[in-house]
Amino acid sequence: MTSSANSQRSVPGVLPVTMPVRPSGKKRPQIAAIVTEYRRWSHAEHILDRFLWGYGWDGRHHYPEMDLVSLYVDQEPENDLSAERTQLFPSLRRYPTIPEALTRGGSKLAVDGVLLIGEHGRYETNEKGQKLYPRYEFFKEIVKVFRDSGRTAPVFNDKHLSWNWDWAKEMVDLARELDFPFMAGSSLSVVPRMPSVDLPLGAEAEEAVSVAVGRPDAYDIHSAEAVQTVVERRRGGESGVKAVQALQGNAVWELLEKSSWANGGLDPKLFEACLCRTHVLQQAQKRIFNHKYPTVDEMKRLTAEARAPVVGYRIEYNDGFNYTLLMMGGLVGDFSFATRVKGRRSPISALFFLGPRNLCSFFSPLCNSVEKMFLTGKPTYPVERTLLTTGICIAGVDSLHQGQKRLETPHLSVNYQPTKEPTFRRYE
Amino acid sequence: MITRRTFLKMSGAATLAAGSVSLPQSFASLVRPVAQKRKVALITTIYHYRSHSQHISDRFVVGYPKEGSWHHPNTQIVSSYVDQIGDRDLSAHRSVQFGTRRYDTIREALCLGGNKLAVDAVLLIGEHGDYPSNEKGQKLYPRYEFFKQVVEVFERSGKAVPVFNDKHLSYSTKKCAEMVADSKRLGFPFLAGSSLPVTHRLPAIDLPWGCELEEGLVVGVGSSDAMDYHALEAMQCMMERRKGGETGVKAVQMIEGDTVWRAMRDRRWDPRLLEAALSRSETHRGLTDRDSRTQDLANNGELQRLVKNPSAYFIEYADGVRSTLLMLNGAVGDFTFAGRMKDGKRASVLFYLSPGENVNYSACLASQAEEMFMTGRAPYPVERTQMASSILDRCLDSRMQGHERIETADLNIRYQAPRASRFCRA
Repeated sequence: MTSSANSQRSVPGVLPVTMPVRPSGKKRPQIAAIVTEYRRWSHAEHILDRFLWGYGWDGRHHYPEMDLVSLYVDQEPENDLSAERTQLFPSLRRYPTIPEALTRGGSKLAVDGVLLIGEHGRYETNEKGQKLYPRYEFFKEIVKVFRDSGRTAPVFNDKHLSWNWDWAKEMVDLARELDFPFMAGSSLSVVPRMPSVDLPLGAEAEEAVSVAVGRPDAYDIHSAEAVQTVVERRRGGESGVKAVQALQGNAVWELLEKSSWANGGLDPKLFEACLCRTHVLQQAQKRIFNHKYPTVDEMKRLTAEARAPVVGYRIEYNDGFNYTLLMMGGLVGDFSFATRVKGRRSPISALFFLGPRNLCSFFSPLCNSVEKMFLTGKPTYPVERTLLTTGICIAGVDSLHQGQKRLETPHLSVNYQPTKEPTFRRYE
Repeated sequence: MITRRTFLKMSGAATLAAGSVSLPQSFASLVRPVAQKRKVALITTIYHYRSHSQHISDRFVVGYPKEGSWHHPNTQIVSSYVDQIGDRDLSAHRSVQFGTRRYDTIREALCLGGNKLAVDAVLLIGEHGDYPSNEKGQKLYPRYEFFKQVVEVFERSGKAVPVFNDKHLSYSTKKCAEMVADSKRLGFPFLAGSSLPVTHRLPAIDLPWGCELEEGLVVGVGSSDAMDYHALEAMQCMMERRKGGETGVKAVQMIEGDTVWRAMRDRRWDPRLLEAALSRSETHRGLTDRDSRTQDLANNGELQRLVKNPSAYFIEYADGVRSTLLMLNGAVGDFTFAGRMKDGKRASVLFYLSPGENVNYSACLASQAEEMFMTGRAPYPVERTQMASSILDRCLDSRMQGHERIETADLNIRYQAPRASRFCRA
């Protein structure tokens, strides 16, 4: 593609905007996007728009050094933007099938990178409450084109790999077999943190707690991924998870009454740290106080009033590390974590910073990490992280479905080492 | 007239080491058992939900999040003076819940009904309330008047305690200078200003202390003279870190409307600084509001469509450094800074103001006031706030005088910024 492809057509009803003119010259990677739907606030919109219009980065407006050239969109809701975007960017062409998008109408793979964004859209939900996004199915089609072409390209899969563990595992295995760079996961793993802290590599982390908004199968992965990015840096690296138990309602509140994991509860200092890092701590005495630490009774009332599910995943790692993932919509409106480290007086804790709608700047570090993979051919961070968090969340949903039963998870003995340098947005 | 020397003699107080802010200290009262709570008097214009007085002073009573735990200051708001009791007043509620006794006068609030100063610190929060505005558009909050009454009690009592003044000192350059002079004359720690200099930043960086800064630029939003003040103090907390410290401002100019776009075409500011500042914004408007797309706002031609009434404040420092505040309502919803060093390098940040009722940034500010109350040392110089207040006042003069550049001999305010950064990052 040349720079001329970046000029913009006028579209009826759309305000004219001056479009960036990118330098032509060295060959720019050509990128395909395979998405469920492309509408305002969909993940596809946030990610693809950044490839089209760039985004603020390091004090400049950054344009990815690659071209988004082909698009497959599975569903077109009323507020679909794919038609408008392809009109605005003539270089971006929409194709009716995944193989055509990847081959750009030809017979062989004709792109240098693939964005697989299977979040949002109307898909069925199973009896466990999992939304059956077709990420695995899309991935398999991509792999088929790779095989048929005798060539592969790096793939990024947004959010968890699949709702089905065997499929998730197969996706990672296929990437290994065909030897293509594969990255996945939540934007939260790379967003800025407030404060900008990380677990020192090799530190003896003992326990973690996260408190966040959300519900199982949707936002649990965000907490799990974000925290995994921190705790995978503990001594010995990641060795996997041996058991997961999901708790609901009163069983979660009881965790707060017991003073330690050993007592069947959690470290109250970790929980407190989370509530001290959130920027959205809901208030029990509305319009009387704007920022008061709630009592447990107030927390119960707030979550009940919000009709938000109160769910906790108790995650036991193989090396003795423990993590309690709490979903408490109605109490908080964002994502924060804390982890206790041997030898440190106070926990390491932070807010995973998302920033306000509509810009949703939390997608920028994710896009930047993916761009790096497309440019270097190396995943910016290990896909095993997402494989493990995918498995944790599936086990959490299964545990809930089986009456909050503790489930042993020998299949989650996922071993990997973290990157030496943190990959979250640190501005250095 | 009471000089500082005679005042100290009267109060019998020891002068403590002044630390980085070179303010004299005079507080025998600071030496006390830790267990005893510091008694704080709240002097405020109005007290309702989400007023500055509520969300700042409550933190001294109910605590606030600090460095990952809920911090309970060793303080008690023992008394208050509330100038206007509105329909939404909460000061009566606080009297019942926390024993904060409301007095009818400032003097009584400071003396707890007696004859002499009987508190350990003063929170002066003169924001919100029904007060007239002058022809320059300045809301005439009685901060100076309240402060003078506080000073009068100090003088009568032969004793002074730390004072925190929320936001700008006064709408008047002259009154600002008098307030600072009073604090120096009586030797009490005096801290003031906006939460913007101390709130979280994205990225969590400061300008290197002593850097060779050539030009600064702030993008802000909101009305005058409420929000431009915040932007100017955010600007000043960055500019003051330049090599040689603060040397004063020799001239200012404020322009509005289409002349701002002409100034942009004429490169009255470095366009790369505008791009840098806007690239840090989390709240692009216009097309981003329409369908959440990203925008290169500095270069895509949208600014002039989005901002119906832009204003630009030009500040010429005495040492030749210059800075610009652009108020761009309609384009963004937050406050950003960008600066260029002599070697061409740029630095830029967002001063992050969390949305919603918690307003965490006010905890960052309360924490600074609390530190002064406990240590007797202002963590950063009140001259920063004096400078920002006075720049705003004189910019509004420029506006009144046909948007002409005006020389500002009265902004010959010199001070040295502390090397240590004070913004929230732990």
